Amino acid sequence: MNTSISAAERLARIQLNAFLYFRADWLERLIEIFGSAQEILRQDARTLSQEANINPDTAAKLLQAALAVNPQEEWDKTSALGGHIYIPEDDEYPQSLRNCKEAPVAIYVLGHLPADERACVAVVGTRKITPYGRRVTRKLAEELAQCGVTVVSGLARGIDSEAHAACVRLKKPTIAVIGTGIGRCYPAENRSLEKALLEHGGAVVSELPFNSPPNAFHFPRRNRIIAALSQPVVVVEGEIKSGALITAKLALEMGKDVLAVPGPIDSPQSGGPNSLVKQGAGVVTAVADILDYIPQASRFGLDLRFFEHATQAPDKPLEELSPREQQVMQIVGTGMCSLDQIAETLGSDVPETAGLLFELEVKGFLSCENGLYSKNKF
Amino acid sequence: MLANICTGAIKGIDGFAVSVEVDIAPGMPTFSVVGLPDVEVRESKERVVAAVRNSGFDFPLKRITVNLSPAELRKSGTHFDLPIALGILAASNQLSPQATEKLKELLALGELALDGSLRPCAGVLPMLISCQKLGKTAVIPPQNVLEGQVSSAPFITPHTLKELADYLEGKTDISSLQINYIPQTEAEPETELDFSDVKGQALAKRALEIAAAGGHNVLMIGLPGTGKSMLAKRFPGILPPLTQEEALEITKIYSICNLMGKSKLLTRRPFRDPHHTISDVALIGGGSNPRPGEVSLAHNGVLFLDEFAEFSRSSLEVLREPLENGQVTISRAKETVSYPARFTLVAAMNPCPCGNLGNPLKPCTCTPMQINRYKSRISGPLLDRIDLTVNLNPVKYTDWNKHSEGETSAQIRARVLKAREIQRKRFAGTNTTANAFMNAKQLKEFCPLPAGADAILEAAMRKFGLSARSLDKILKTARTIADLEGVAHIQTKHLVEVMQYRPLDRKGVADV
Repeated sequence: MNTSISAAERLARIQLNAFLYFRADWLERLIEIFGSAQEILRQDARTLSQEANINPDTAAKLLQAALAVNPQEEWDKTSALGGHIYIPEDDEYPQSLRNCKEAPVAIYVLGHLPADERACVAVVGTRKITPYGRRVTRKLAEELAQCGVTVVSGLARGIDSEAHAACVRLKKPTIAVIGTGIGRCYPAENRSLEKALLEHGGAVVSELPFNSPPNAFHFPRRNRIIAALSQPVVVVEGEIKSGALITAKLALEMGKDVLAVPGPIDSPQSGGPNSLVKQGAGVVTAVADILDYIPQASRFGLDLRFFEHATQAPDKPLEELSPREQQVMQIVGTGMCSLDQIAETLGSDVPETAGLLFELEVKGFLSCENGLYSKNKF
Repeated sequence: MLANICTGAIKGIDGFAVSVEVDIAPGMPTFSVVGLPDVEVRESKERVVAAVRNSGFDFPLKRITVNLSPAELRKSGTHFDLPIALGILAASNQLSPQATEKLKELLALGELALDGSLRPCAGVLPMLISCQKLGKTAVIPPQNVLEGQVSSAPFITPHTLKELADYLEGKTDISSLQINYIPQTEAEPETELDFSDVKGQALAKRALEIAAAGGHNVLMIGLPGTGKSMLAKRFPGILPPLTQEEALEITKIYSICNLMGKSKLLTRRPFRDPHHTISDVALIGGGSNPRPGEVSLAHNGVLFLDEFAEFSRSSLEVLREPLENGQVTISRAKETVSYPARFTLVAAMNPCPCGNLGNPLKPCTCTPMQINRYKSRISGPLLDRIDLTVNLNPVKYTDWNKHSEGETSAQIRARVLKAREIQRKRFAGTNTTANAFMNAKQLKEFCPLPAGADAILEAAMRKFGLSARSLDKILKTARTIADLEGVAHIQTKHLVEVMQYRPLDRKGVADV
């Protein structure tokens, strides 16, 4: 932590940060004019707007938001959770975020952020996940984690949760940038995931005051942090109008590489990535495609060798299955099959098919959603 | 003068004897009915006055008091018209002494039209059954003749009040008042709905077979048009036939609700499918003057709730008592009545509000929040009473077109009957009728875990997040599957099959 900044100044910065649209470059300009954050807070809206030449409305809102926050309380509550509040002057504040045009003036962090040179890849996508999206996210996130890459995502339902959960299962660190204060969990069902993520060396990051609710307008803002922390950004699934595409757009504006996982042309959830591909985004068909985009500086220490053959060999050998089970795997193919369809193609009855499917599911070859079976792996 | 006529009334689904005392005294002309009469009984005064006059008798212009005894029990129904009219005729000396003597041997039930003819009324069967021990000859309206025949009590069916008076006076023979109604002897036409009509959906058919064999409740989750209602309507066809007592029980309930129609003893298991806007009272029974609800009308049969999640929350919660106890107890300040309600619940719902979740052809437009809210309308305690849940997926045209002949209802029913027979022997001498109703002790005795089951259950708990709570239900269902196969002990493959019917136990994907 940078000790050249006084505690009072730090608290004033935290207060200013409460205004959602406040940015580090504004703060710099305001400090040039007024001398310090504490001084800024002592101004009234009119002086602020006149001296700094900012919109009077914005000035009023900035002060209103800042004065509504008790910074000492924010600090104490965060500490009580074992968290920290970092400002750009701190060494712990990620370099990649500092470089971002709209860097937050303060970030709340639970757990440990990786060192600046560590490779971070964002895996983002829709909340309305399809079995295809689930399969791909799981595979890509697992392989990235095994490689030593930190997966960054947003802890939302669907793709985000799937990506975090894949890392947690492998006990690898992953970063969740959330759209609420760190004192809350949204969606609530991810509370256990959040806990597990912190246990395995991951981090939860938010720029919002400790108890901020999940307001809809928080999420597009938080997406810029995901984009800033990562290189490249991988969009797995998302509709043409979706948060995932906002993240992609923000990433492109920051000069980051955006990669897309192509999908069925008639699936609305693949509309976003497919349109990105059309606009020239990199295509992901295997994890090696993502690794190619990791900056040279971050490649040190990555287990790249691990993936030399990964694209061909399925990691679950079908040979260990019985002939009947192999038949089922063939029938399921890359699609989604109900038990009825499988039983009929197999020429079998319900009890036998149920037995085969149970075995395959327990062994991890298949998964079932809404009565439809699909393969876990390509 | 005083007269005393015997009749009946209904409490719950049973009848009790009521004596109608009529006193005619000199004084200002009044006509009052006492003894807790309901509105329709009080209104009977007007019908009686007109019917007596229009049958060629005089209505006495004196002080008339009618008492319905026992006076502390509430009486409802329109069948008090006839006994009150007879009482007035007897008390005003318009009948000869020997006719009055004969009247003491009668049990009179019937609504009167203003012209003096008899009209059908509700609840004749339970009243006849309960009053049989009095050893009286019943007088019932001709339209209720079928119920008279079911009860096997002696009865006569006059068409009018005058006809009955003539018989009492000895002017006509008893034979003129007996309808020699020969019920159609051929069995009711078999239901035309057959399981072979439903294409594909082998899993759902299998689940319904298990449900029929073990008395389990079923929830079908599927896209619109996948055959949920079609399957449910065919479900009664694979249930075992009604026993004599079961048939009598449901016939009594239908008699009370005046739903007998043209049938004699009901021989087919009832199938009730109330709309999802039904009120709690209509579903469960009740009202200030308690009446059986849909759950009782489905007694010994099937209650089909389509659009399960659209029923009001409170309607679904009141289902818990009948599902647990097989009866509904309705308590009012003045009385408490119980209606039997042991039915098989067959519920159907869409996977999400828009109905397209999991449809490979159409995208679902619901938000995750909407889907959660929709699913959470079915509470945990209610789901706990449903042993089998199946997902139905759209049938492809190729499936629909080929191998059109599935199994017929008769074939499935034969297997169900065999499994039921095994259970009948197993539970002989106990109150339990089917595997679904086993208590903890029976569960322990009849459902020992097979060797190697631990590994499977452990894997299922780990993989699917099954709770220990669902374990009992899994065992009960596995017991039924084993019975269908005719084997003495539950085997691991039976347990594995049951996992197919517990999709809602699976934990969310993001759980770690």
